[in-house]
Amino acid sequence: MLEQIRESLADLFEIEPERIQLETRLYDDLEIDSIDAVDLLDRLKRKTGCKFAVEDFRTVRTVGDLVQVIEQKLVAA
Amino acid sequence: MGKREVYWWLVVRTGTCFAVFGLGALGLGLVVFPALLLFVRDEAARRRQIRAIVHHSFRLFVALMRGVGGFTYEVTGRERLGRPGQLIIANHPTLIDVVLIVALYPAGCVVKEALFRNPFMRRVVQSAGYISNASTAGMIEQATAALRAGDTLIMFPEGTRTRPGEPLQFHRGAASVAVQACTALTPVYVTTDPVFLPKNRPWYRVPARRPHLCVRIGDDIDLSEYRDLPPPRASRMLNARLQEHYSRFLSDGAGYNAALKTQASRATGTGGGREQQRRIVG
Repeated sequence: MLEQIRESLADLFEIEPERIQLETRLYDDLEIDSIDAVDLLDRLKRKTGCKFAVEDFRTVRTVGDLVQVIEQKLVAA
Repeated sequence: MGKREVYWWLVVRTGTCFAVFGLGALGLGLVVFPALLLFVRDEAARRRQIRAIVHHSFRLFVALMRGVGGFTYEVTGRERLGRPGQLIIANHPTLIDVVLIVALYPAGCVVKEALFRNPFMRRVVQSAGYISNASTAGMIEQATAALRAGDTLIMFPEGTRTRPGEPLQFHRGAASVAVQACTALTPVYVTTDPVFLPKNRPWYRVPARRPHLCVRIGDDIDLSEYRDLPPPRASRMLNARLQEHYSRFLSDGAGYNAALKTQASRATGTGGGREQQRRIVG
């Protein structure tokens, strides 16, 4: 999952994959704001085939949080 | 009349206009639009009619304000407004600019969330299908859907009225909507001289001299270079470009107004002033 997120972030935002670790903060370190989040989620939705809503990500702060939420959703599906 | 009387006269005049606006909005929202609900069943048709009514009401209001000497204005390029899927963006120096633009064309509009709670305006913005900026994600979703459905939409990239004297700050929401969904992106440049009903100034603090508003509708902004990029990158680039473009235009615009004033103050208007004016506009 981390790999997929790295790939998406690289494509969408031109962020080098090595900058993306589990503890990396999306907003503070990568400058991904709420507008970017919509595009990022859109892309991850298509890649993983998993349906999730923006509300599921309200508490997400780091890349690790993101991985966790998506994995939970995939298990639940 | 002494200076004091002039001031109070201006306050009464502006206050009356505000009262007319509020009561008009209330009347439309409480009587006219509910009546339409009875007579026009089709929702899309009804919304078109409501937007047309708002458009004509705003025209009346602008005529009233001009009639009582509240302000003067000029508009150029209005024929460029009103294409399906067109996104109109404007800077937002005054409370009145949105009224002027809707008075030119019955477009949809992204408005601040507080209007959906304002007792006078609530029903108008709801019935007209205006979009709230309450959540960025929700706003982008609704705005792109409206444009794709062929609506013409007005957005203010500043997200709020300009703070006089501070550098222009554009939010990326408008650029994001533009690169994703609009068929044409049309810039509108608004200038007021002197500053009129800006942010953080109560309405009764009227300017000493009658304000003049300029609404210029510019040529469409070419979006072809952004279309193939992923939206986050495209919207960042476009937003930076728009902000730069507006900052430059508005500082030139101030020069333009100054040139006009110099021209007007010269009793014998020679070609010199006009030439200067042309140069600055071009």
